[in-house]
Amino acid sequence: MAAESPNSARKVVVHLRATGDAPILKQAKFKILGTDKFAKVIDFLRRQLHRDTLFVYVNSAFSPNPDELVIDLYDNFGFDGKLVVNYACSMAWG
Amino acid sequence: MMDVLHWDGTLSAKDFRIGAFAFAQKWESRNLAFPPWSWLPCPKHPWLAPPKEEGYLSLEKICISRPNEEEDIDQISQIDTGEEETCCSGNEDVLDDATLVQSNHHELHYCDFQIVYSSTFRVPVLYFRAYCSDGRPLPLDEIEKELPACSSKELSKKKWTFITQEEHPYLKRPWYKLHPCGTAEWMKLLFLSDNANPKFEVVLELYLLSWFSVVGQVFGLRISFKISD
Repeated sequence: MAAESPNSARKVVVHLRATGDAPILKQAKFKILGTDKFAKVIDFLRRQLHRDTLFVYVNSAFSPNPDELVIDLYDNFGFDGKLVVNYACSMAWG
Repeated sequence: MMDVLHWDGTLSAKDFRIGAFAFAQKWESRNLAFPPWSWLPCPKHPWLAPPKEEGYLSLEKICISRPNEEEDIDQISQIDTGEEETCCSGNEDVLDDATLVQSNHHELHYCDFQIVYSSTFRVPVLYFRAYCSDGRPLPLDEIEKELPACSSKELSKKKWTFITQEEHPYLKRPWYKLHPCGTAEWMKLLFLSDNANPKFEVVLELYLLSWFSVVGQVFGLRISFKISD
């Protein structure tokens, strides 16, 4: 709990950045409620890119659990007033 | 020092050992909801030279029965923030009801995890086995019921390239493992996208943590990202 902000309802600027073979979005930055789960960002990307499997991660080489709150991610990984979220289309196990 | 820009996402056996110790240390100091990982030396072969400081990481008896476990963790993490505490106490009765029903009808399931270095793929590989509280082992279709929806979906789509049962390389018993073919590729992505282009020592410090942030999601494990600072 880095920043125990009483105002967790504030909005967070998320910057979606394509890596690897992923297509770039027309609108790469958008605002999302801090109280939303990271799953919302992933779902948004899935719908935009029409892909089922996506590899989504933040700076510091960390892939957050979809249940994490956006505000917690922003407090830990946010930089320059925004949370940079990288995404790639390929995510293979085997 | 190695240039991370041209790094292929793999580790040497020595790097794995260094990375494993860094990971276990970070985990123990800040991820208190879980027990610590322990480093186990590889068993010696009677007819071979003893392996030089080879070993693997082990984390035992993690409850994977999701409804109970997740609520517990949620409640623990919510105690810290004043605002969420109020909304938590509002739901308390509902949550308690669910727990009660679950514990009556649903036995708790546990998982042992081991992180073993693959010299073929040059990456860490997660081995696991699951069992009931009485020690009875769980087959994969039973384990699947405890996994998050995205994992069971992946399992049905990729029967032979996601989770399969194999002989544990050191324990020589059947364990399940996550397939490592793609690991180097996504590990490379994780680190290259960082603007900073970190030094390889820094990559090594974080490698297993970053790796586990991805593989842990297969089991719905919510590890503390605060340990990545």
